Amino acid sequence: MKIVLAGENSVIVYFGDAINPDLPAKIAQAAEHIKAQLSDWVIDLTPAYTSLLVSYRLNLVNHHQFCQQLERCLLDIKDNDTVVESKTITIPVYYHTEVGFDLACLLEEKQLSLEAFIELHSANQYLVYAIGFSPNFAFLGEVDMRIRLPRLDTPRIQIPAGSVGIANKQTAVYPTNSSGGWRIVGRTPLDLSLNNANNAYRFNTGDKVTFQPMTRNEYLQYGGKL
Amino acid sequence: MSFKVIKAGFLACIQDAGRFNHTQQGMSQSGVMDEQAYCWANHLLENHFNDALLEITLGHVVLEALDDTMIVVTGADLDFKINNSTVPLWQSVQINSGDILSWGNVNSGVRSYLAVKGGFQTDLLFGSRSVNLRENIGNKITVDSILPCQAEYQTNVRLMDDQYLPNYVEDIILRLLPSYQFNTFSTNQRDLFFNQTYTISTANNRTGCRLKGTPLAMQKSNLVSEGISYGAVEIASDGLPIILLKDAPTIGGYDKIGTVFSLDLAKLAQRQASAKLRFELMHIDKAQQQRKLFNEFFSID
Repeated sequence: MKIVLAGENSVIVYFGDAINPDLPAKIAQAAEHIKAQLSDWVIDLTPAYTSLLVSYRLNLVNHHQFCQQLERCLLDIKDNDTVVESKTITIPVYYHTEVGFDLACLLEEKQLSLEAFIELHSANQYLVYAIGFSPNFAFLGEVDMRIRLPRLDTPRIQIPAGSVGIANKQTAVYPTNSSGGWRIVGRTPLDLSLNNANNAYRFNTGDKVTFQPMTRNEYLQYGGKL
Repeated sequence: MSFKVIKAGFLACIQDAGRFNHTQQGMSQSGVMDEQAYCWANHLLENHFNDALLEITLGHVVLEALDDTMIVVTGADLDFKINNSTVPLWQSVQINSGDILSWGNVNSGVRSYLAVKGGFQTDLLFGSRSVNLRENIGNKITVDSILPCQAEYQTNVRLMDDQYLPNYVEDIILRLLPSYQFNTFSTNQRDLFFNQTYTISTANNRTGCRLKGTPLAMQKSNLVSEGISYGAVEIASDGLPIILLKDAPTIGGYDKIGTVFSLDLAKLAQRQASAKLRFELMHIDKAQQQRKLFNEFFSID
């Protein structure tokens, strides 16, 4: 564990230097512990794959004091302490070339049938490694070796809300219409945007996500758009 | 008590000190770009430091006052007028129902701030009134939209002492804290970074500011995406800096050479493309002392 300066009122804690499936739960636990122990000082916590960014009130505590207290607080965490309950979120997805713009190209390149691809993408239980890029955008890993593709060289200007994408080891759902370079393979009819304010708390790092394949009819019944 | 939008301009939106405690859900902190002009505007009206105001980028906005109230306009000189007469900035002004407030062309600076007594009362969105267009949180003003505010006003006119008047034309020095991956940059890379004058490119907005200059030689980085602080300076694969600002994504994956001191970012918020700037190292203790004094002066908690 290493604490590094990040800004005039922030530091970043590194829990490792490579992506590791054990880290999201560990970082979520540390975030909860910091919230409980240093609540008067802490403004924001930003967990990511291997790190936790912490900003604090510099009116109340300076950099050196804060680093000391933060280190003490982190060393104080016992393995069985404040374990954060992770939840499993199921997201229904319509996998088809009419909504998955990169699906045809992926199947061709990987020499897979649509059924085989769906099986490989939806059989996996994914871990939420980070939330960011935009609100509610959850970075999920890891994608099966057989269906990995790098980002597009030139990002698309407009990806419809609900699109499910793949970028190498990662997969994710775009919560709103946005630009982006991930390979789009399907779409969920679920509204994951902030139009529904409860969505802000739908994902946490350390949670699990599974994708549930659905037919075209089911997709349309659930309000999916083509 | 409110204002009606007659002309919406290029980009005008409500901002406050920012949206806190939501980066965990991927929402950036947002908030005003020029904290100096923002704090003066609220200070002169004896508002709370976090009261929301209207941030007007590059002018061409016209508003009609629907009631009597007290206002302050600070920040850029965008040819601000009331009923077609020029009005001084950086001081409180009594306005009456039916008055027409207008912003025209840029004389100096980029962003003008309109504060009203008690602050604008638009909806709180996740604990803040700050609009973030990249995140689809709130909207910019449009013709005929109504900007609500409280029906209270002070009678005494307050003005800022001239010694505090900012100069938006001179070249700026951005003081940089050696944060994040600073130590992984070589002496050659750092020398080139600190010894050159950069130019602000046209790719600059509330999310970030891309600079033009001599690129640093960069190797492919294996950095895993991590949390971004306000003012972090990413060096992209092309070797050029991007300063990440209020609406920046909460996490990012480029190496960062440091983080710019917030009060220098307030100056950057008033510079247009082609303005020149340099970086200079700053110690964390000095940054915290200066920001603490600023916070005390404006009663920021």
